[in-house]
Amino acid sequence: MGFIALLFSLVTLPLWAGEPVPPGPFTDAECVACHWKWDPMVIETLRTGPHGAESGVVCSDCHGDRHQSAAQARQNPVCIDCHKGPASHSYATSKHGVISRLDRSSGDQPLQRGNYRAPGCAYCHLHDKDHGDTMVPKSDPMARQLICSGCHSPRYVSEQLAAGQRLVEVAELKMAEALALIQGAPEPGAEELKKLEAGTKDHLSNVRLGAGHQSPDYQWWHGQPALDGDLIRIRDRIATERRRKAMEQVPKQRSIK
Amino acid sequence: MRTPLIVLVLSLTALASGFAYVQWSKGGTGAGLYSRLWSPDPVQGYWDPAKFYQSTQMVEGVFQGEQCVQCHESITPGIVADWRNSRHAKAGERVWCSACHGDDHQRLHLPTPEVCGGCHEKQHGEFKDEADYGFPSHVLAMDRALSAPHFVDKPKAEVQSCVQCHSVATKCDSCHTRHRFDAAEARRPEACITCHSGPPHPDDDSYFASAHGRLYLAEGDQWDWSKPLVKGNYKVPTCAYCHMDGGRHQVARKSLWKFGLQEINPHTSANKALRREWIGLCGDCHEKEQARGWLSALDQERKQAWQKLYATEDILKGLRADDLLFPAPGERPPYPLEAPGGPGSKVRIGYFEGQASAFYNVSAIERDYFEMWYFDNLGAYKAAAHGHWAGVARGHKRMSESMQRIEAGARDLRALGEAERKAGIKSDSGGLWQGGAYTDHNRERN
Repeated sequence: MGFIALLFSLVTLPLWAGEPVPPGPFTDAECVACHWKWDPMVIETLRTGPHGAESGVVCSDCHGDRHQSAAQARQNPVCIDCHKGPASHSYATSKHGVISRLDRSSGDQPLQRGNYRAPGCAYCHLHDKDHGDTMVPKSDPMARQLICSGCHSPRYVSEQLAAGQRLVEVAELKMAEALALIQGAPEPGAEELKKLEAGTKDHLSNVRLGAGHQSPDYQWWHGQPALDGDLIRIRDRIATERRRKAMEQVPKQRSIK
Repeated sequence: MRTPLIVLVLSLTALASGFAYVQWSKGGTGAGLYSRLWSPDPVQGYWDPAKFYQSTQMVEGVFQGEQCVQCHESITPGIVADWRNSRHAKAGERVWCSACHGDDHQRLHLPTPEVCGGCHEKQHGEFKDEADYGFPSHVLAMDRALSAPHFVDKPKAEVQSCVQCHSVATKCDSCHTRHRFDAAEARRPEACITCHSGPPHPDDDSYFASAHGRLYLAEGDQWDWSKPLVKGNYKVPTCAYCHMDGGRHQVARKSLWKFGLQEINPHTSANKALRREWIGLCGDCHEKEQARGWLSALDQERKQAWQKLYATEDILKGLRADDLLFPAPGERPPYPLEAPGGPGSKVRIGYFEGQASAFYNVSAIERDYFEMWYFDNLGAYKAAAHGHWAGVARGHKRMSESMQRIEAGARDLRALGEAERKAGIKSDSGGLWQGGAYTDHNRERN
């Protein structure tokens, strides 16, 4: 009798396993309390990742407060609601972004290799349920290699990732050059230099976004040549200021003569 | 009697040696006019496969299409899924992996336009013939990028960004993304925006903000994109509808105002013929008289833009003539093509002097003009050409502001120069331009 009951329960497992879930709505604490049992990896990576408690982001921000909402959370607009500006525009103008926009998927497939025509935000950054960020520089580089390799050859991926890294290093050299120039200026805290420094940081960030999202326009026009312009203007402010100062000394000598 | 003969012989010799020199200069490790001055990064092979792709030696064997698919289903499932959903996988006319990549795994290649042209002969032929219409061009885009001074001057890791768009000349998947290669996808405006966006060519912003673009954004997802690009099939024109009318793969063929980069005379007989073509195209939906008016408005816009640009160029040329640019050309870092005092060491002002590379290693006032010409001016032009009138006003406002900034900057340079001359001091930039983390890296490692 016991055997039959066990067999019955095993056969109907999918039914009764899904049944006890009430329709919601759920609070963040309720989501975490339950999913801690089913998906400890999801909760663990969420807690230690950029969307952890300090960020103020709660489950319902992406998933809504009802159940069965993974498909909704996999869609790009959910992310873009918060990540506006260059962060998402660099993606939207990339080939991945364009294909995602034109070939809209329902998002009902798990975020695993082979399931999507082009990667959406979540496919790369929350790959295979990882709720940390699989793409931040400190995450495992092998994870990045594997995620891209679902569609691209391993050699293509490693060479593109290396090229992106070198591109960012060049931009970081420009940033270092800018900071050294500003530190050596007669008045490093001058308002104009502060503004230029902020612009330089933005342009470095654009290069990073362009490399990460494969957006040539962010790598280039919003990035590298913009940094060249920052360096030119920082130098010009400093050198012209020195020229003016040198001239201020002159009239006194002339008047003595 | 002899003189003309000598002149003829000399000219022919000069012509032949010039031709030989260009051929020689293209024979280096890189490609393009300065090929002897640079070597490619390994990733270049993916952007310019005909010249630089080298097959991996990891897997041995000759494989049939079914075998490729069987194995790659687990190695790169995304590619296989894409191919399965493409027309290439359709029963009866199936195009297997080996048709484009070869079947010997040690000698695989990436398909160049020639490979696609093996079947898509008409489109490939049209694409190649675009070269007859000069610049701007898709088919000449890679040569153009590699022959730009900044491609040689800057670290190869940096200029990798350039070839990602300029590879539109060397591969077909810039528009027909692999491995679906869907014509319906390439017909939509988004297919163009990865490259046609950003400050010098805001084609995306100007089109999407126009009446055409707004209607596309509102309704385009519901349209049938499998239809050809001809009259009656689409409610509003998209990039391809106007620039590749009838599906003709010669995007720049009807280019009349040449991208807004150089001034053109719109009234030559050739340009009048092009204008009639444009009016005919607008006539698919609009009254021709109305179309004529819009094109005249564009002429007017360009005329005003060039007045502003030439007036500003004059200011800069005046500073150059009076040796007032700061820093002077000789005080700028020795980029490979611009060793101090060398033949390349000069200040470039205006389109024909090479203004397109004047965004680094220049003085602040020259950079201001570069941005005025390349960003403000082209922003206004794209807006005018795409019917985004607020964008035209904004572009011209920015041009006027840039012009005022340059005028003020020139006054300062003249005042300072004059004061220094009177005081008898000769100021220089104190070596400020000569060193730094990036500048040193480029000098030593590039």
